[in-house]
Amino acid sequence: MEVFLPIAQVFINPVEILLLSAIVGVLSGLFGVGGGFLMTPFLIFMGVPPAYAVANEANNILATSVSGSTTHWLKNTLDYKMGLIIVIGGSIGTTLGIFTFTYFKGIGKIDTIISLAYMYILAIIGTLMLVESLGEIDKAKKNIVEKKKLHVHYWIHGLPFRMRFPKSKLYESIFTPIIIGLAVGFIAAIMGIGGAFILVPAMIYIIKMPTKLVPGTSLFVTIFVSVIVTFLHSINFGSIDLMLVLMLIVGSIIGVQVGQKLGEQIDSSGLKALLAILLLIVGIVIAYDTFFAENIQNEIKSVESKDLNFFSRFIKEFSEDMPFFYGLFSILFAVILGIAAAFIRRSISKFREKYFKKVVKQSK
Amino acid sequence: MYLSNLKILNKITSKKSSFIKTGIFSAIAACWGFIIVGTFITFK
Repeated sequence: MEVFLPIAQVFINPVEILLLSAIVGVLSGLFGVGGGFLMTPFLIFMGVPPAYAVANEANNILATSVSGSTTHWLKNTLDYKMGLIIVIGGSIGTTLGIFTFTYFKGIGKIDTIISLAYMYILAIIGTLMLVESLGEIDKAKKNIVEKKKLHVHYWIHGLPFRMRFPKSKLYESIFTPIIIGLAVGFIAAIMGIGGAFILVPAMIYIIKMPTKLVPGTSLFVTIFVSVIVTFLHSINFGSIDLMLVLMLIVGSIIGVQVGQKLGEQIDSSGLKALLAILLLIVGIVIAYDTFFAENIQNEIKSVESKDLNFFSRFIKEFSEDMPFFYGLFSILFAVILGIAAAFIRRSISKFREKYFKKVVKQSK
Repeated sequence: MYLSNLKILNKITSKKSSFIKTGIFSAIAACWGFIIVGTFITFK
């Protein structure tokens, strides 16, 4: 069974997309990594043109980060002040990223640039993760406990305009989070990822935020960055396909919940090496596709509006006639789905708690 | 005498783990070599 995507103009198998996004969701829930740097390459392998894969994955990341952020908001594990300062840098970085994207799209090299960026990023993350996990396994075998320095000062800590962040108990220059946000926003705009793989280590090791505030604040920043990326891609290139976005969101939200539950039950540190190997393999496949495989044109077919079904025609016409409102609608669509997922998760866990308490009381 | 005390067994185990490590690091090096050579070929 194949479905035609009215905006990306390709045929895809919805079951495959749902399964893949669920698998990537499980991995991201299990390892605490964002799924963007795996899902975008998978979309490209499935025939979605890279420029469309980037934009739609950004919209999917918006939904998952809204869902995760709402959960952290309910638990009060969010530093809004720090998050908003990072967002300032993120907005500038995203705008610069979109300019770069537009430039390379203009000269017809955007697909190569996206592939190159992915293969290098995946190879770097894969190598670092593999080396780290091998080191951890080695240390665990030899029972070595490493003493870490409590404070390491980099040049970035000497920057002016210091500000107090009461929630994180920090007194930090505002330039530190702005520079980090800038880098994250730039990469997010070009690659369609949330940027948590830069944001999380930077928040822990450079900004030195308390670890319990890091995931929530990182997701909070990702919301704003992916809103800007989605909106700019939508109004500049009209590349958001709500049919694809819906499949991605449903798959990844279910997958993330399963992954988080699995993560509570199994020790995932040993599996980290396997994820690293997976990243390296995906990087190699992208490299092979870019360098050596014949330039196979994906099934880009121009299907006329009259041949489309009602829903597809509505999306296509809405996107073409009102790109501004279509962009806003895509954002709202992802935000509502994300919040709904967070509240459904909360009610399920409350119901389970009540049910289990009843069962325990009855057994006593 | 316990089997685990045999020096030869310990040596084999340590050799095995160093072989695995060498293998993994060569695979990483090959991966990077492939990517860098490919980039050069493409841009030439």
